[in-house]
Amino acid sequence: MKLPDLNDPYTQKAALSIAIGTIAGLITYEVFLILGIDIFGWNLGLIFAPLVAGYVETIIAKELLNESTGAISALILFIVTVVWGFIIANSTLGFNLITAGSIVVILQAAMPILVNFILLGLILSVFYILGIFKKAADISFYKLRNLYYNFTGKSPTLRLKESIEYDDSITNIHINNLGVLFTSTTHLPGKIEEYMGIYEGKIIFRKDKNIISGDFKEQEQKLLIDLKKAKDQSLLNLSEAVKKDGCNGVVNLTIEYDLVGFGGDSFQVVASGTGVRLAMD
Amino acid sequence: MILSSTNTLENKNIINYHGLVSGESLIGSNVYKDLFSGVRDVVGGRTSRYEEEIQKAREIALNSMKIKAEELGANAIIGLKISYNNLGGTMGNTILVTAYGTAIYYE
Repeated sequence: MKLPDLNDPYTQKAALSIAIGTIAGLITYEVFLILGIDIFGWNLGLIFAPLVAGYVETIIAKELLNESTGAISALILFIVTVVWGFIIANSTLGFNLITAGSIVVILQAAMPILVNFILLGLILSVFYILGIFKKAADISFYKLRNLYYNFTGKSPTLRLKESIEYDDSITNIHINNLGVLFTSTTHLPGKIEEYMGIYEGKIIFRKDKNIISGDFKEQEQKLLIDLKKAKDQSLLNLSEAVKKDGCNGVVNLTIEYDLVGFGGDSFQVVASGTGVRLAMD
Repeated sequence: MILSSTNTLENKNIINYHGLVSGESLIGSNVYKDLFSGVRDVVGGRTSRYEEEIQKAREIALNSMKIKAEELGANAIIGLKISYNNLGGTMGNTILVTAYGTAIYYE
């Protein structure tokens, strides 16, 4: 883009007509403001000032240059009146979605291509934040994969075989045979001999990001089993901690699951409770 | 099987404590369902599918807990706690439902 030469009489005349147009528009807006011509508090000067500015500018430009300067003063007036009338003067409206939107519309009229690119970028980033692209990609990948297996007649390879072999009830029995009585209640009538304080068993494990099996059910199952294993491990850790101090029971046991780590990529399972010494039968 | 969140059972004599029983289930990233849930979160409106899913997940967790209690020879679970944990996921909709309590035998 070439900068206009200020010594050029053409540029001077164009600048003059733009300036006169702008001044005419400003005067019109001022008149509208003083007379208070408005509908529901919305000043009509916002419409008429840029119109007058553009009209005056075009007339003067025709007189001086025999051609139009593209009503630049109307654009200036639009921006000035929106910024002044909506945002600065009208404090109740302030800077909100609508005023920002009207400024964007004006800018779009002035520089269509640039603003359109910016708007496109904004829309795309909103889509990105909502995660629609990823989901669409995931679905298409999943669909394609299923199509492939249907077409070839092969069955998908299961990579999670070993971890799926997890028996709930066996581990449950194992947990309850560690020599520590875990209870979630606050008291064991007639059994507690001594309170030994608060104990906790904790484990942090990282989310497995290497499963690209595409099957969401599989991933879920794997995560659930990982969580169950983590819970068992935290209970084991708790039992070791209490046994070290000679406890054989835990009352008021709570188990908490939390999302920790950078970007929430790890899970924390904490089992905590009050260690007690129970009377032996 | 009595399920109770209390510490004791009124008018019942607790004979034996069997220990901790727990059940977990996961509401995961079902792509078909949550594709536009993000949009719905912004726009507003009830996501009734989630409510159904949570109800189902709760039932699964409670059932697996009950089965374990039966295997231990218990006939009631007291001190029951149910918690819902958000585990992130694609749109923060991986929800872990956990239930745990103390398996007891009462008369």
